[in-house]
Amino acid sequence: MESVISLTSVSRRYPRGVQALRDVSLGIPAGQFVAVMGATGSGKSTLLHCAAGLDRPDGGRVRLAGQDITRMREARLTRLRRDRAGFVFQSYNLLSELTVRQNVALPVRLGGPRARTVDEVLGLVGLGGLGDRPVGELSGGQRQRVAVARALVTAPAVVFADEPTGALDPATGAHILRLLRTAADRDGVTVLMVTHDPAAAAWSDRLVLLREGAVADDGPAADATRIAHQLQAVAA
Amino acid sequence: MIRQAFRANPWAFLGPAATQALAAALVTTGLGLTASLDGVPPDNGIADLGIIFTLSSAYLTVLVVGVTMGTAIAGQARDMALVRTIGATPGRVRRAIAAQAVLVALPATAAGIPLGLLAGYAWWHGLAGAGVVPSEATFRVYGGTVPIAYAVTVGTSLLGALVAAIRPSRLRPSVALTEALVSRRGRGRVRTAIGVLLLAGGVTLAVVISGFDAATADQAGLFVMLAMCVGAGLLGPVLLRVTLPVVRRLGPVGALAADAVTARARSLSGALVPLTLAVAFAAFTVVLGTTTAHVTGVAAPAADRWLEYSGTGAYTAFAAVAAVNTLLTVMHARRRELAVVRLAGGTRGRTLAVVVCEALVVTSTALAAGAAVAATTLLPLLHTALGTWRPWLPVSWLVAGIAGTTALVFAGMVGPAAAALRRPPIEVAG
Repeated sequence: MESVISLTSVSRRYPRGVQALRDVSLGIPAGQFVAVMGATGSGKSTLLHCAAGLDRPDGGRVRLAGQDITRMREARLTRLRRDRAGFVFQSYNLLSELTVRQNVALPVRLGGPRARTVDEVLGLVGLGGLGDRPVGELSGGQRQRVAVARALVTAPAVVFADEPTGALDPATGAHILRLLRTAADRDGVTVLMVTHDPAAAAWSDRLVLLREGAVADDGPAADATRIAHQLQAVAA
Repeated sequence: MIRQAFRANPWAFLGPAATQALAAALVTTGLGLTASLDGVPPDNGIADLGIIFTLSSAYLTVLVVGVTMGTAIAGQARDMALVRTIGATPGRVRRAIAAQAVLVALPATAAGIPLGLLAGYAWWHGLAGAGVVPSEATFRVYGGTVPIAYAVTVGTSLLGALVAAIRPSRLRPSVALTEALVSRRGRGRVRTAIGVLLLAGGVTLAVVISGFDAATADQAGLFVMLAMCVGAGLLGPVLLRVTLPVVRRLGPVGALAADAVTARARSLSGALVPLTLAVAFAAFTVVLGTTTAHVTGVAAPAADRWLEYSGTGAYTAFAAVAAVNTLLTVMHARRRELAVVRLAGGTRGRTLAVVVCEALVVTSTALAAGAAVAATTLLPLLHTALGTWRPWLPVSWLVAGIAGTTALVFAGMVGPAAAALRRPPIEVAG
């Protein structure tokens, strides 16, 4: 079965000579929930950005949802992202001046597929009654749920999550992770999540550990304690 | 904090700096004219020109510099909240803001004075060439130019900045942090009330002064116009909403633009004051000239026309520069918002189309408000002087005016948005 996300010998070097990714190859099948971990500067965010087409690798190839995006034109790439991918960021990246409903409807209004109604996804993330509140008035956990709803409204093939629980307390964070887990299990959404929190990574199916831009370990995700040990072993 | 402000957004202060340089230039020109006209016999009819020009420039400066500086400071609300959290007192925040205002005004004025001298010199030559002043009279520099120009620009810069800083510096830090994320959604009843009052006062005054002789009415008309433009600016959030139902019919892009305009109504209103001023000034002078020529069948003497158009040209240019600057400041603060739209799946073209829609809303609102202000001041005047209520304007002028205003707004909104969209969105939004 073809991978929904596939990286082949991807490398990425930043202008000042920092090698963020070295020859990374990774294939992720549909419906898998993958956590990427590593020390600060190990290249986890760069990996996510390259896989999502937010950044372009210097070498290697990236395929997303069946299409080679390595040298895809920006407008086409944006449309592919809009139609097949959803994003959840640590800093929410919502338009705080607009209401919950307006934020969730954004991808559809930008021309994305109207796969689900706004009310349906808001119900899914437990924000049914808050549609008309401005996002700026919500708590951090509620904002992140708005971001998850926005990511799911187009029924994407992949959700990219960059430290989705980084700014949240454990209980609120768990709520967000459960939403991602459900999306993977019930709707077959592929989730690629970058995190530094072993408890968050424990929600995934598969753990990829990075060290200095290369894959140091790749296997089924264990429990949080075990993951913390693995992480320490790699960082040492 | 001052350093943070300048480092974080060096571009945000370019707007106020450019307007202040122009303000200094206008005041310098006015003072130079006053000094030079000192020797001209009072019966010439333009002896007061210098003084009127200087006073109007100073008044205009208070408005326009206040607006641009205020917009620049409003963009710092979040930084202000942060330093309040880590222990800066409200007084300290205000002092830092004041220091910024002065630091911007000093170099800007230094650049503006020579510009004003050049402009004054050129204008004087124009006046002499058109036979308005005797050709042997020379342009003189007024001795007090430098202190007066500095007083006007530093004063207005300070005033604008401090007024803008009142609210953010007084808030409790915890409130300030959330407030920085959510701009106030209230309709601002006081604001609307003052706006209505200014407009109503303007209309009343316009009717009253139409009974005066032409020269007095003409001069007082400027002040009526300024008052009404401020009124229009205060009513901006309301006025900007008028066109939104139409925009929403343009499909999803229009709907996004309408949401953005609603959310940003206040900051866009800041740009509405100078834009409306520019439209109203130009419309007033041009329509007065064309209607008079149309009704009486004779064109005004070249010298008079030259005087009218060059004076109006200076004000209009000043207001236009201020408008573009305010819009640039507003759009600069929205780079992150644009990046978020891109991350949510907006292509560059579609994201830009949203901004184009917003620009059209601002343009049409400014044109309508400016035309209304010009009509209020002009129509009673036309009726008194020419006995007609019908202004006359050739279609080519109308088209040029609409095209000019559109170009201004696009330069201030679509230009910077296009530039901001060139950067990868993930770098901006993170």
